Amino acid sequence: MTEGLEGEARRAIRSVLENAPADGVEIVSVSSDTGLTRFANSQIIQNTVRQEVRVYVRVVVGDRWATATTNQLDESHLRAALDGAIAAAKVSPPDPEFPGLAVPDDVGRPRPLRRFDQAVAACDPEGRASRVREMLKAVGHHNCAGYIETLAGAMTIVSTTGVDCSDAYTRGAIQCLVDTGNGTGWGESYSHALDEIDGVKAARAAAAKAEASNDPGDADPGIYEVVLEASAVATMLEYLSWVGFGAKSMIEGESFFTERKGRRVAIPAVTVLDDATDSRSIGVGFDLEGVPKQTVAVIDGGWASQPVTDLRTARQLGTTSTGHSTGSVEFGPYAANVVMSGGDHSLEDLVAAVPDGILVTRFHYVNVLDRPETLLTGMTRDGTFRIRNGEVAEAVNNFRFVQSALGALSAVRGIGDDARAFSEAYGSFVAPSLHIGEFHFASRTSH
Amino acid sequence: MPDVDIREYLFTALEAASDSGATYVDVREVSTESQALATRGSAIEAVDHSESVGYGVRVVVGGAWGYAASARTGDDRTAVDVARRAVAVARASATALNQPVELVPEPGHVDEWSTPIERDPFDVSLEDKLQLLLALSEPLESSPDIRAGKATMDLIRSRTTFASTEGARIVQTILHSGAGMEATAIADGDAQSRSFPGSFRGHLAAGGFEVIEAMRLGDNVERVAAEAAALLTAPECPSGRFDLVLDGHQVMLQVHESVGHPTELDRVLGMEAAYAGTSWVSVPDLGNVRYGSEHVNITADGTIPGGLGTIRYDDEGVEVQRLDLIRDGILVGMQSSRETAAALGADRSNGTMRADGWENFPLIRMTNINLLPGEGSLEDLIADVDDGMYMATNKSWSIDDKRKNFQFGCEIAWQIKNGKLGRIYKNPRYTGITQDFWNSCDGVAGEREWYLWGTPNCGKGQPGQVMRVGHGTSPARFRGASVGIGE
Ligand SMILES: [Zn+2]
Repeated sequence: MTEGLEGEARRAIRSVLENAPADGVEIVSVSSDTGLTRFANSQIIQNTVRQEVRVYVRVVVGDRWATATTNQLDESHLRAALDGAIAAAKVSPPDPEFPGLAVPDDVGRPRPLRRFDQAVAACDPEGRASRVREMLKAVGHHNCAGYIETLAGAMTIVSTTGVDCSDAYTRGAIQCLVDTGNGTGWGESYSHALDEIDGVKAARAAAAKAEASNDPGDADPGIYEVVLEASAVATMLEYLSWVGFGAKSMIEGESFFTERKGRRVAIPAVTVLDDATDSRSIGVGFDLEGVPKQTVAVIDGGWASQPVTDLRTARQLGTTSTGHSTGSVEFGPYAANVVMSGGDHSLEDLVAAVPDGILVTRFHYVNVLDRPETLLTGMTRDGTFRIRNGEVAEAVNNFRFVQSALGALSAVRGIGDDARAFSEAYGSFVAPSLHIGEFHFASRTSH
Repeated sequence: MPDVDIREYLFTALEAASDSGATYVDVREVSTESQALATRGSAIEAVDHSESVGYGVRVVVGGAWGYAASARTGDDRTAVDVARRAVAVARASATALNQPVELVPEPGHVDEWSTPIERDPFDVSLEDKLQLLLALSEPLESSPDIRAGKATMDLIRSRTTFASTEGARIVQTILHSGAGMEATAIADGDAQSRSFPGSFRGHLAAGGFEVIEAMRLGDNVERVAAEAAALLTAPECPSGRFDLVLDGHQVMLQVHESVGHPTELDRVLGMEAAYAGTSWVSVPDLGNVRYGSEHVNITADGTIPGGLGTIRYDDEGVEVQRLDLIRDGILVGMQSSRETAAALGADRSNGTMRADGWENFPLIRMTNINLLPGEGSLEDLIADVDDGMYMATNKSWSIDDKRKNFQFGCEIAWQIKNGKLGRIYKNPRYTGITQDFWNSCDGVAGEREWYLWGTPNCGKGQPGQVMRVGHGTSPARFRGASVGIGE
């Protein structure tokens, strides 16, 4: 896959754009070439390759607008989408808050990040299968499940206001669950580069955890001192971003920023950025409106500093867009390249500081209970251990947590030096392990 | 035999895959048209029309699966290329294989079927649809204490063409229509919402615009706004053991998470272990495990009219069926596919394989998982509670990877005292263990309050697939439930 669109498709988009009977047109093309190999019960069970493109057309007619989407890149489909959107805009109510399309002189002209690895793009079914075989071998006789994905994506945006940008990116992802029959363990690895995802290491980690998890003992729910491994922290950050990092939820009164902007929401050692330029981030360098993604310190030294914006919310706040549009007015801006600063403790050091607590490998099925309070619930899974006298002791049953994410970040006692990227779907979340003084497990399950 | 019109390039793909060594091939072209509308107050938040067309080739080679998909339809050369890529993928799968795929037989159906509709929603003018939504969101947002009044409409039509090397030739057109509204009241850092007919984009069903017209959305504006505002000053829902009555919408999510997913045979067999998880039940439990009380009777029914899981054929060409999952509280069935049915000792799949679009490999997905109606009414259920809670409209959900420990939140609760509804509470939640909870069910309301709800956002698989599934439910009562979050 090349950066952006190939000649014919680009010409079709240009042609549609130039003759459009509208006051403004923006065309966003998002394409991807994906191979995904799933395994379970220690064999490959599903294996797919697919080529996709989505073209999002947004038209402006006076102070009205509408959108249309197609997956066909030829001129007749594009023109039909455009005409449909124009007809829809004409009968839609006026939108006095519409900020207009991006004007590069005002918001900046994006440069491609090119976080693109040819080896990921070129990885074929046999390349993925050979990695699966290595992982199965690494876990020996244990039952093993997971996947490897290689994705090459590209995005192009052109508009009648002068936006013209393209970027390409890749993502490699490996997940591995090992099940001994009496316990499970987990390993995972994500990067834009193929030689940085290590399936064998993930598989060995999962097998070691699974063996240590055999026949978990009983532990009561309650408030515990915990060490959350990086995977669990990444999940917490993903939900925190979803419920509170975007300016729309702040403006609508549903974010922690609404009441607590400029106030302390975490200990001073906690800094959380949205930073697409971080070398561990995955994705392109501009948003769905063609605005360059700025690095935003959302939580800066423990203070609730600033949410991310798109053109609409920036206008409502009297600022300029930080480049975090999702293309959806309903959803609003979203921070999808979250980076939490790491500390200087190894995971062993973090555990060593806990006299009596719980080590959590990962979370499962998290959901939001209260957005302004950042109150989340979810389960632990695939490696939940008691910590006794600074050492990982016996495996215990899994817990259901009910915990404010910001409450957890306010109770941080140590930050790991192991920050790494997690990228299951949209964007990436770079997270370290954390030692947290108080964490609420409200109930338990029997495994 | 009906005349089924299938584009020629799909047969080219079938033949090319067979010629390359596939022992089984199916091709599936999906053309989807959808419209998504959203208003907030007097403004629009979404006016979108979307189309997606493409096809996938699914093959078995050397006992292993391969799948390749492309958006370039109609072209023979591409079809050959896509078919060969599917075969190459399957050959790679075969290098890590313990148990070759074996498909239980299914007749090669030749048929055409469409969702019965009264009024095509794509023929209704956009002006009329936006007017309908603005007539909800404007008065909602201008109500006392309401910060955001939102209304949404979703219309999705999918035409699937399916052909296989076993002679299946099927064209099926499914239409889903839905709408809903939500009012959010905000004060002092507290946000409280009420929605109608349900949360998360209202209610969707199989059918045309008549589905939306039947909802009587306008009749509920005042109540929805007033309840959202009242929640701001309502006390927090107390915690403890209470008799719990759930409305049909919350019973829908309870059935979905704690019965629907754990009886998917791919989960039971470990095929979804890494992501969504497995199940607390296994195949030998069939006929032996008490899943709930004798009031609990649950079916998987793709044949009932109007549900989001109502189809004629699934995405591997199997005719959909109605089967019992739980009969008089005993686990008796699981949702299967042609690959997995043999594990049940069955000689036929029960027809639950569906894919999210042309891009994706089909998975076992719920059709309509229905809690069959019992007797009496919601009022009767409440009348027999001395000290309890009535909770309505799902707001949050979470369940463990074996589908045992769950926690749900609802938009609103009413205290029940001596058989009568009392004051309202905010942030009601309850938690429990699947088997204990269903065993505590001592009443399901009757036919009159039974409603076929839609869950439009069921996620499963990797890459993630979103499916629209149905759940027929009526209000139900559970004794001694754990209200609150636990300890
Ligand atoms: Zn689901």
